[in-house]
Amino acid sequence: MIAITVKAMKLFVPSPGHINSLKELLKEKEKIYSIFMAGSPDYIGTGRSNLASPQLEDIAAQTEYAHKHGVRMEMVLNSSCMGGRQLTPEGYRINHWYIEKLVDIGIDSIVVADPYLVETIARDFDVDVVVSVLAFVDSPQKADFYVNLGAKSIVIDSNVNGHFDVLHAIRDSVDCELKLLVNEGCLYRCPFRYAHFNFFSHAFGPEPRPNVLDDYYYYKCLELRIAEPELIIKSGWIRPEDIKLYRDITDVFKIGGRTHFVDWILNCVNAYHNESYEGNLMDLLDCPKDLKDLFYIPNKSLDGVLEKQWKNCRKVCKKCGYCKTLTKKVTQVYTKGGTEFESLAPLEVNA
Amino acid sequence: MSTAQLLKNRAEFEDKIRKLIGRPVLLIELDMFALPCGCSGITANTRGLEVDDLEVFEQQLLPRLKEMATNLDIKPSIIFARLVPGSSIVASLNWRTLCTRCYPEFARGEGKMPRPDLYLLQFERRK
Repeated sequence: MIAITVKAMKLFVPSPGHINSLKELLKEKEKIYSIFMAGSPDYIGTGRSNLASPQLEDIAAQTEYAHKHGVRMEMVLNSSCMGGRQLTPEGYRINHWYIEKLVDIGIDSIVVADPYLVETIARDFDVDVVVSVLAFVDSPQKADFYVNLGAKSIVIDSNVNGHFDVLHAIRDSVDCELKLLVNEGCLYRCPFRYAHFNFFSHAFGPEPRPNVLDDYYYYKCLELRIAEPELIIKSGWIRPEDIKLYRDITDVFKIGGRTHFVDWILNCVNAYHNESYEGNLMDLLDCPKDLKDLFYIPNKSLDGVLEKQWKNCRKVCKKCGYCKTLTKKVTQVYTKGGTEFESLAPLEVNA
Repeated sequence: MSTAQLLKNRAEFEDKIRKLIGRPVLLIELDMFALPCGCSGITANTRGLEVDDLEVFEQQLLPRLKEMATNLDIKPSIIFARLVPGSSIVASLNWRTLCTRCYPEFARGEGKMPRPDLYLLQFERRK
């Protein structure tokens, strides 16, 4: 058993996956409740891109190090598509073998997206099962379903991060831990979501892996946002300053971004721990990170907008236009980036 | 050629494209390359540029592409856009001095798109 330090906010923090990253991250251990990282792609894989491929010995060493510092360790095995392999006798055997090893190592929780894995892990192993954000739990009914399968924690679909009625309905329906992913910058109700995560699951899962030159979904996502920057404003992120509005729903928050540098991750940790950030909102968003060199959205310029507008938003964008107007007002565009002449210009000049 | 020149040209070219098409475009990376076959050149990875932009603004874009090559001391035998096939996405703009091995691959066939992922903006055919 490990001694976990009691913290006001339970912050789940990504690790790129190797021990050096973990050591740097845990220099801020008093702000971190749990580290999470992906395992080896050779077994279940993950639904997002991944930098490391830690083997069991690496995972054991990192888990021991985290525990020694009073921080929990969570493994993310949230592939959204395994091609049915998980249902074959061989897939069942391999997955069980891998999870057994992780449990023996002392992993505190395992995140999965597949309902079958939720049930089988909860039934057969002594480890907390977490329902991934990639299970898209966006209703009390789905939440209840997963709790009945054995889930101890649910990461709620970030599409409903702004739907307080849904969040409260889920809170009222289940007793398990609820987690909110705070900095995912994906398109609101993203039409690429299923296809993109399924693609990632194969690209970062067991062989054979697709040899893809260009990630259509990512490029298209960027194309849409560059053409309509209000799509960045409309996505389901939660600003550090707005965490307080979620306190009656949960005190557990997850920062996405396991493919970033430790410095970037710690910047997010500090922002969410302090519940305040002075810089560019784009600095905090896990995705689309490429656009932080194009747009500057002063985080503080969005103070009060959630309470005043978005909490009651009916999502009829064509009739409303609030986000479009707000985007034009606050967003600036980098020009002559990377040179001595770099400056920020209003969006309208570049649109 | 220095990295300072690459930085300056990246920024200036991005600015020119934005002004031409009237909306933000991101030139996410400008690379100079040399391949084992003998081809060399530069590649600008783009985000937010669309195939329609190439078709509509090709005449205005071409002088800017040539100017970029001159600025970076490249003498491209071909300038082309690489597309994500079957979509509106322009993944990159490429200025390439073709080697003798690769030239025939581009020279065979006619039209703007010798392959579904290539859109030719300029091609100097050998005599």
